[in-house]
Amino acid sequence: MSDQPLQKTKARPVYRNIGMGDLANYRLPIIGVASIVHRITGVALFVGLIVLLPMLHMSLKSEAGFEAFRTIVWGNWIAKIVLLGLLFAIVYHLVAGVRHMIQDANKWLDLAAARGTATAAFVASIVVTALVAWRIMA
Amino acid sequence: MSGKSFTQEWWLQRISAAIIALYVLLLIALLLIYGAPSYSHWQSLFSNNAFKAFTLLALISTFYHGLIGVLHVWPDYVKNAMVSSALNAFSWLAAGGYALYAIYILFFLK
Ligand code: HEM
Ligand code: HEM
Repeated sequence: MSDQPLQKTKARPVYRNIGMGDLANYRLPIIGVASIVHRITGVALFVGLIVLLPMLHMSLKSEAGFEAFRTIVWGNWIAKIVLLGLLFAIVYHLVAGVRHMIQDANKWLDLAAARGTATAAFVASIVVTALVAWRIMA
Repeated sequence: MSGKSFTQEWWLQRISAAIIALYVLLLIALLLIYGAPSYSHWQSLFSNNAFKAFTLLALISTFYHGLIGVLHVWPDYVKNAMVSSALNAFSWLAAGGYALYAIYILFFLK
């Protein structure tokens, strides 16, 4: 114990507000972001059912209800943004949830794989969301 | 929370997730193939009993999965006992209301 060589301590991290000049070196902790976004989308979907179920109700009630529902969705930017947000939420939560369950089975746990699949989950869900949005608006 | 063991809850959370995932993938596939449905298309989809049953299964799985999910999330952020029991009560009420409402929409409309 006593005869171990003294080690030079690593440079200690400095905590301060980051400025513009630091942005280029700032590493987005993508794994942490993936995890918190999975949580946020889960809660958003649970709360979002408050609007989704009445929409299902309206769309099935009658042809007039179905048309009224389409007018609300297509005639209104706020409704469009909320629904696109919920579409992204379900797609992302699904993809990241499957990734999570694969990690539960002890795969994709090393840093490179965890980072790569976290990034892939974002890219894949943005692509799928865009495809579905484009398909139903076309 | 409930009397269920942690492992049992963990498995139910994953099984419900798998059911919801299959249902969502089916909807996404239908949307990508056929585009936005017309009323008659939509109506006939929901008059198919197998689709209705799958919809009910997926929705009930969603309410269960979402309820278990948010009951795990709240205590990480809310430390006040009164606020947290209010949030838990609201979550249970929401999940129960969703389930009754879904049964009404699927089987008692008209
Ligand atoms: C589409 C299929 C879905 C899959 C594959 C899925 C998967 C998962 C998984 C694996 C977890 C556990 C995460 C953990 O243990 O930390 C989870 C948590 C959660 N899910 Fe889902 N889920 C799906 C749909 C939904 C839906 C529709 C809702 C909303 C009602 C929802 C709400 C939640 C919530 C609130 C949590 C807790 C989040 C947390 O603890 O961080 N999920 N989901
Ligand atoms: C146990 C739960 C529920 C039952 C049994 C129920 C029952 C009903 C009934 C009988 C109607 C009239 C349908 C008609 O005119 O033919 C209705 C309409 C409606 N309900 Fe509910 N409801 C429930 C929950 C909810 C919830 C939770 C919401 C929204 C958060 C909601 C939103 C609506 C809306 C927007 C309408 C009008 C639909 C329209 O006329 O197009 N309901 N509901």
